[in-house]
Amino acid sequence: MGDFLSVFDSASKVFFNNILGKPEFFIGGLVFIGYLLLRKPIYEAFGGFIKATVGMMIWNIGAGGLVVTFRPILAGLNDRFALNAAVIDPYFGLNAASEAIKSIGMSLSWAMISLMIGFGWNILLVLLRRYTKLRTLFLTGHIMIQQATTCTWLVFFAIPELRSIAGAVWIGLLVGTYWSVFSNLTVEPTQKLTDCGGFAVGHQQMGQVWLASKIAPMLGDPDKSVEHMKLPKWLSMFNDNVIASGTLMIIFFGAIMILLGEPYMRNMDKGGFPATIAFPTYILSKSLMFSVYLYILISGVRMFVAELTESFRGISDRVLPGSLPAVDCAATYGFSSPNTVLYGFIFGCIGQFTAIAGLLIFKSPIMIITGFVPVFFDNATVAVFANKFGGARAAAICAYCTGIMQVVGGAFAAWYFELYKYGGWHGNIDWDTIWPFFGVIMKNFAVPGVILIIVAMLVIPQIQYRRSENKELYFKCGDESSEA
Amino acid sequence: MLKILAACGNGMGSSQIIKMKIEKVFKKLGVPVTIDHMSVGDAKSQASSYDVIFCSVTFTDIFKVRGTTKVIGLVNLLSESEIEGKIRENLTIPS
Repeated sequence: MGDFLSVFDSASKVFFNNILGKPEFFIGGLVFIGYLLLRKPIYEAFGGFIKATVGMMIWNIGAGGLVVTFRPILAGLNDRFALNAAVIDPYFGLNAASEAIKSIGMSLSWAMISLMIGFGWNILLVLLRRYTKLRTLFLTGHIMIQQATTCTWLVFFAIPELRSIAGAVWIGLLVGTYWSVFSNLTVEPTQKLTDCGGFAVGHQQMGQVWLASKIAPMLGDPDKSVEHMKLPKWLSMFNDNVIASGTLMIIFFGAIMILLGEPYMRNMDKGGFPATIAFPTYILSKSLMFSVYLYILISGVRMFVAELTESFRGISDRVLPGSLPAVDCAATYGFSSPNTVLYGFIFGCIGQFTAIAGLLIFKSPIMIITGFVPVFFDNATVAVFANKFGGARAAAICAYCTGIMQVVGGAFAAWYFELYKYGGWHGNIDWDTIWPFFGVIMKNFAVPGVILIIVAMLVIPQIQYRRSENKELYFKCGDESSEA
Repeated sequence: MLKILAACGNGMGSSQIIKMKIEKVFKKLGVPVTIDHMSVGDAKSQASSYDVIFCSVTFTDIFKVRGTTKVIGLVNLLSESEIEGKIRENLTIPS
C-alpha cells in the first residue's frame, strides 16, 4: 500500500512539474483529447496538439519580449517620478496576470482548468434554461482565455486560501456565470440591432452594451445617426491594428521617454542605446518594439485559440439548438456603417486622453497608457449600439464616457490588484467597472463573497425574464434564426 | 482548390467565425477550399495571394486589390444564407 502511495505521489509530481507547470503541453493535451472526443482521426489530433503547443510557445516569446522592453521604462518612471504605469489592454493584462500568477508559484494551467470548468458551467446553465433563463453560449475563445486568466489572478490575489484545485473550481463557476449572464443581457439589444441576426455579444463590454442600449434613447435621436456624417478619410487607417497600436505606442512611450530624458535613458539602457544612436531613433525603435512583441504574442494566441475553438465547436453544436452563440463584438459592426466604428474609437480616445490628463493633474500614483484593444473595440461596439438607439449624439457621449471609465477604473484595478508591478491591466470596460467591484467584494468577504457574486449574477436573468414583454418570444428568437 | 482568406480587426474573433461559416457553406456547395484567417492589417499585404477575401462590410473599403482577387463584404457574419448568396453572386458554382 505504501509503495502504491509513493508511486502515486511521484507520478503526480511528474504530472505537476511537466504538464501542469508547462501550460503549453497542458493546452496541447486538452486540444488532443478534444479532437479525439470529436472522433477526429489521430493525425488531426496530433496536428492540433502541435499547433496549440507551438502557438502557446510563440505567445511566451512575445510575452518575454514585452516584459524585457517594459522593465527599464517602468523602473525609470518609478525611480524619477515615483510613478507606476500600466497599459490598459487585454494582452498586456494577460501578460501581467500570468506573470503575477507565476510570481506566487502557480502556473497558467490553473487558469486553463478554470476556463474548462467555466465553459462546462455555461453549457449546463444553458441546458437548464427553463429554470436559469439563460440562452447564450459564450464561444469567443481568445476572450475566454484572457478573462479566465485575469479572473484567476483576482481570486488568487483576493483569497489566498483558494490557491488550489478547489479555487480553480470556484474561479470556473465565477467566470462561467459572468459569461452566461452578461452575454444573455446583450440578446435583446443585439437582436434589435441585427434584426434577429441569431447571435449575442460574448466579449469584454457586455455590461456596457446593455447600459448603452438603455441610456442611448435618452441622449439623442436614432434618426440622426452617424451614417449621415462625413469623417476625414485618413481616420480609416486606424482600422489596421498594426498601424493603430504602433501609433499609440509611439505617442505614449515617446512621451514617457522624452520625460525621462536622454541622459537618463542612455544611462539606464547602456547596451541598447550606444553613443552612435540619436535619441529620436532610439525612441522610435524602442516604442515600436512594443508593437513587435505584441504582434508576436497575438499571433501565438491566434494559433492556439484557433485549435481550441475548433475543439469547442463540436460540443457547442450539440448544445446550440434553441440557444444563441455569444460571439466577438466585431460581428455587430456589419450592421452599422464603417463610420460608426471609427466614430466610437475617436470619442473613446478623447475620453481616455481626458482621463489620463486628469490622473496626471491629480497626481495619481498610477499612470495609464492607452492600449489598442479597449479603446478601439469597446468604444466602437458601444458606439454601434448607442447609435442604433440614440443616434450620433448618444454614440459620442457613450463612447466618451466609456473612455473615461476605462482609464479611471483601469487605474484603480491596476493599483488595487497590484498588477501595475507588471505594467498591465485587462482594461476592457467590463473589467474596469464590474470586475474591480467583484474583486473588492472578494477581498473583503472571501469565499462567501464569491458565492454572493455568483448568486447575485444568476438573479439577473430571472429579472430579465420577468420584465420581458413577451415570455414566449424570450426563448424563441434563437430558434427561428439558428440556421445550424 | 480555391484559396480563401477571412479577415477582421484583430484577426482573432470574428475572422474565426467567418472561417467556420464559410467552411460549412463551401462544403455544402461541394467546392474544395483552404481557408486562412488573419487581421485586416496582415490581410492587406497578402491579399493578392488569395482568390477570395471575406470580411465584414465595415472593412471592404480598406482592400484595394488588383488582379483577380475578389473581396466579399458580409453584413451578418453568422448567416449561412447570406454567405451562400454572396458566393453564388461572385463565383461560378456548379449547381
